[in-house]
Amino acid sequence: MPVENYLELLPIIVLGVFFFAVTAYMLYWAANRGHFRNMDAQSKVIFTEEEPEGELSDSFPSKR
Amino acid sequence: MSDSTKETEGTVIPYTTNDSSMRAELSEIDRSIRTASVFFIVSAVGWLLLGTVFALIAAIKLHEPSFAVGTEYSTFGRMRAAHLNSMALGFGNNMIFGVCLWIMARLCRAPIRHGGLLLIAGAFWNIGLTIGIAGLIKGDITSVEWLEIPSYATPLLAISYILVGIWGVMAFRFRKGDHVYVSQWYFLGALFWFPWLYVIAQIMIIWAPAQGVVQSITNWWFAHNVLGLWLTPMALGVAYYLIPKVLGRPIYSYYLSVLGFWSLALFYNWAGVHHLIGGPVPVWLISAGIVASVMMVIPVVVVAINHHMTVVGLHREGWRSPTMRFVVFGAINYTFVSLIGSAMALRDVNLVTHFTHFTVGHAHHGAYGFFGMILFGGVYYMMPRMLHREWPSASLIKIHFWGSALGILLMVFALQIGGWIQGLEMNNPEIAFLDVVQNTMPWLKARSVSGFLLLVAHLAFAVNFFWMLFAAGKFRTKNTPTLLHTKEEGAV
Repeated sequence: MPVENYLELLPIIVLGVFFFAVTAYMLYWAANRGHFRNMDAQSKVIFTEEEPEGELSDSFPSKR
Repeated sequence: MSDSTKETEGTVIPYTTNDSSMRAELSEIDRSIRTASVFFIVSAVGWLLLGTVFALIAAIKLHEPSFAVGTEYSTFGRMRAAHLNSMALGFGNNMIFGVCLWIMARLCRAPIRHGGLLLIAGAFWNIGLTIGIAGLIKGDITSVEWLEIPSYATPLLAISYILVGIWGVMAFRFRKGDHVYVSQWYFLGALFWFPWLYVIAQIMIIWAPAQGVVQSITNWWFAHNVLGLWLTPMALGVAYYLIPKVLGRPIYSYYLSVLGFWSLALFYNWAGVHHLIGGPVPVWLISAGIVASVMMVIPVVVVAINHHMTVVGLHREGWRSPTMRFVVFGAINYTFVSLIGSAMALRDVNLVTHFTHFTVGHAHHGAYGFFGMILFGGVYYMMPRMLHREWPSASLIKIHFWGSALGILLMVFALQIGGWIQGLEMNNPEIAFLDVVQNTMPWLKARSVSGFLLLVAHLAFAVNFFWMLFAAGKFRTKNTPTLLHTKEEGAV
């Protein structure tokens, strides 16, 4: 395949580099912000006062 | 606040912090996104019913060719494309926009901004899809699988997606606290990957078509990644939120969940070319696809271990929750469908399964048995919190669950057993092709029966949903606005 034909793929290559760069940056950002440390604590952030840890928060509706 | 959560203060800010400026009540967040989420779910239910009708027509035609003839609008090719797009883009994407964006808003810990943006996106999406599917039935199909929608409808879908993407980035940007829960990783990953997939597929297949097999490679890279990098991460994000949330128990290993996300991100993108095993494609490319497909065992086993260990010991409690019934069924099927998928990518197995109903069974196993069931579970959890009402009928929930579970299992068994036999027979030169086709009939009839089971399930879901939506005030919960009644009566 002649080299000039590859130039037609330039927009795709540029997009690919952009998406890869963003992914690599996100990984760096996450590591830098400590998202890969203290993981047990991070697993508990979904619980709230309204829906606390240790309580079942869903069941079948009662019969009326 | 639990003691264990208190211990985490200083490192990760929990929702329950005493700092009111950092705290956003869940009910307030739910209220801020309610209109948009309910709109998306209403649309999803409509597309679900329509897609089921298209599916039944297409399924029956395969063993009763004289069914629904007399008009070109109901030919098999058009009904099949209308079914696929109604389910994937109508039901699937509206469920994603309804459930996943709601969970995203909750995890960002702040009431959403610009909810109108989501409503506009929803309007564009459903108008675009209506035009697109009407075009399919009219006969304007592109002939590219998973990209059948005619080009005059795709700009509306693209605008809608861009608006949703912008909303997702804004919700993340203005979140409270610095933490990113694993579900957010999955949602953000999917929101980020999908435009890349869609733009490349549109460029290389529709706008400036690549020549020869490159077009097929792009097609299957795209089609497989719609499942793997769009539907799969969205459903896994929902499961990672709902399983610990419903059971009140943190995920077994957060480390494993993060490992699962990044290994999915690394391996899945390569897997699609296994659809072209045996085709005139460079061997190295196929081999790379096969290796990636087998490597998918890592995130799958990681997710399976994590979900199982989170639920272990609480099976009885899980069974009493409508949400958990659907989500656990979906999570178990994620393990099975993914392992079967990895096996199907092996050349020796593919030699039998390729060009058979086995693949059709596999696609339904993943898209419905895994993705659809988890998103149903999400709706069962979300709606009472959105509307502050109970689901009107426990019986209808059970009919929905059993109809869907038995229906999809029957379909998967019928198509995969029948498909395997079909593959073996097609590889045997002593069996005439018409005999092979004739031998698939019992399995195709079983598939139609499964379709009726699914229709009953979907009708039960729709009746319960609209009953809850329009019977304002009648089913209002008494004093626990974000919880269903905790009485266990009615669980079977």
